[in-house]
Amino acid sequence: MQSFTNDPTGARMRTDKKTVLVVDDASLVRLYYRSILEDAGFHVEEALNGLEALEKLLACPADMLIVDVNMPQMDGLTFLDRLRQKELPLSSIPALVTSTEAQPQDFAAARAAGANFYVVKPIDRDRLVEFVTMFCGVPR
Amino acid sequence: MSEFPALAQEEFRRLCEFLYRRTGMIFTEAKRYYVERRVVERMLATGSDSFPDYFARLRADAQGEIELFVNTFTVNETYFYREDHQLKCLTSDLLGSRIRTRRSDAALRIWSVPCSTGEEPYSIALWLLENWALVDDYEIEIVGSDIDTRVLGLAREGIFGKRSLMRLSPYLIEKYFVSIDAERWQIIADLRESIRFSQVNIVEPRQTRPHGRFDIIFCRNVLIYFDDASRRIAAENLYENLLPGGFICLGHSESMSRISPLFDVSRFEDAIVYQRPDGGAHADR
Amino acid sequence: MPLIRKPADRTQTRDPDAVDVLKALVSDDREQRWAAARAAAQIDGAAEALGTALRSESDPRVREAMFTSLTCMNSSQSVDALTPLLRLDDASLRAGALDALRAMAEAVRERLPALLNDSDSDVRVLSSEIARSLPGEEATRLLCDLLAHESEPNVCAAAVEVLAEVGNPTALAALADCAARFRDTPFLVFATRIAADRIRAQCASHV
Repeated sequence: MQSFTNDPTGARMRTDKKTVLVVDDASLVRLYYRSILEDAGFHVEEALNGLEALEKLLACPADMLIVDVNMPQMDGLTFLDRLRQKELPLSSIPALVTSTEAQPQDFAAARAAGANFYVVKPIDRDRLVEFVTMFCGVPR
Repeated sequence: MSEFPALAQEEFRRLCEFLYRRTGMIFTEAKRYYVERRVVERMLATGSDSFPDYFARLRADAQGEIELFVNTFTVNETYFYREDHQLKCLTSDLLGSRIRTRRSDAALRIWSVPCSTGEEPYSIALWLLENWALVDDYEIEIVGSDIDTRVLGLAREGIFGKRSLMRLSPYLIEKYFVSIDAERWQIIADLRESIRFSQVNIVEPRQTRPHGRFDIIFCRNVLIYFDDASRRIAAENLYENLLPGGFICLGHSESMSRISPLFDVSRFEDAIVYQRPDGGAHADR
Repeated sequence: MPLIRKPADRTQTRDPDAVDVLKALVSDDREQRWAAARAAAQIDGAAEALGTALRSESDPRVREAMFTSLTCMNSSQSVDALTPLLRLDDASLRAGALDALRAMAEAVRERLPALLNDSDSDVRVLSSEIARSLPGEEATRLLCDLLAHESEPNVCAAAVEVLAEVGNPTALAALADCAARFRDTPFLVFATRIAADRIRAQCASHV
């Protein structure tokens, strides 16, 4: 159980469900993804920016990441770039990058940073579940 | 117990989301009753008529309201061996890492800032003397700094009451303190004389720079409450005050993810700490 | 006892010369650029030079210090240096500029209506976030004006996100209208409903 303050080492109860870490500064986006993915049988963790995501992943490894591009303190592409330089298995977690930007150079930048897939927002329920199932497998 | 209007469900969520965004602290539904009571406490203290009034005040951080609110959840007092998991981390991991990677055999330097009335820097000294096997092999310099000269005077004097010593064993009190009267103990002269206390405003580079570079900085429960500009400057100052590869320890409810991207995060068995990069793509060379 | 105590360092540092600082912003040496970026906060007229230097600066730490100095200036010049960066392809420059602008609400306030009307929808998305740092009433008014004529769903999403935190009951009509216009965009239907619920909860406790 999470307490009102951070656990010193961030150790959390593990679940046997596949874990999706949603990295997005928009609270309503995180809430939307959480409600859909929990319904679909996945476990969801959240981070508000790339720094928090790096911190969370040390304590609580994820099976896949959904990463927004524009975020405070550390944007999604810088985060992925840092993550891909870490050691295995951390560096190999698949990442779906989501963004409001739809230009070819935006796709290219995400790919260069280490995105496995790029989707322009907003995303609806069926597509989200489809992507997460593709990366994580069908939930148990 | 006094009666108070409960927060509506969505008001509670709005408050939690704001606190998470601003501080990184997570308040769950399980803590709702607890949070509501603190909100009412602060509404009374600030003369806010309604939750929207109070929330506007909190959002604007009027008169440091975020800190005042969060403080209602924590024991807002300093005592010896507070957050001792960080002290464990210091001796089990951080000092070892410094010794392996540092490039000189100058003294190991540790900075406690802000140090308030001295419990933290003296705790570090006691902990090292008692728990670090290599303590006699290295010179160790501990500096305690604070913006407030009044607390620095008290720190130099080193006189503490029962509550300050509540976490120390009788053995430690006997060994490192002299009883002044039934209620007060003074830390031994050897220890008082081995720690330097200095005034510093951590958002003022002219004041931080003369303190030089440290292996480890304890900077707990202060950065998260600064406004954006001050937080950025303080983080840059502390970066300069760390040796490459040096560590910074924040308070247990603080996360660097809301403060600054200048540091790397490291997880050890006893604590999460932050590190000035030393080598690698975004490191200092 | 292994603990040692050393005397304090009393050496005084001189303030660097303004011309030297501006030159050092584009030095080949990263430490010089970092020092110059930090010193520039105290130099009149350095905002433009910082804005220019940011575009070619590749080191994230030096960039951070440049953004910090622009934040500390908190002036219309620093706003002018930062806003063009919102249009760049580089996500980390955009994020840095947005963080800096969000931290200088007073200075950016005058410019915000124009930014929220920018022809580039990505600039409107980012500018909606800047409104988060304004007082609730002003932010609500600006974001409702934006919602009233906005056709890009991601801009609406950004405005609704901020309204969920700062909005007051005057936003309810704009949220309902937005939900109706975007009834085929499930995320916006969801987001406007949550934002409206949060605002309504506040009205309920007010009476």
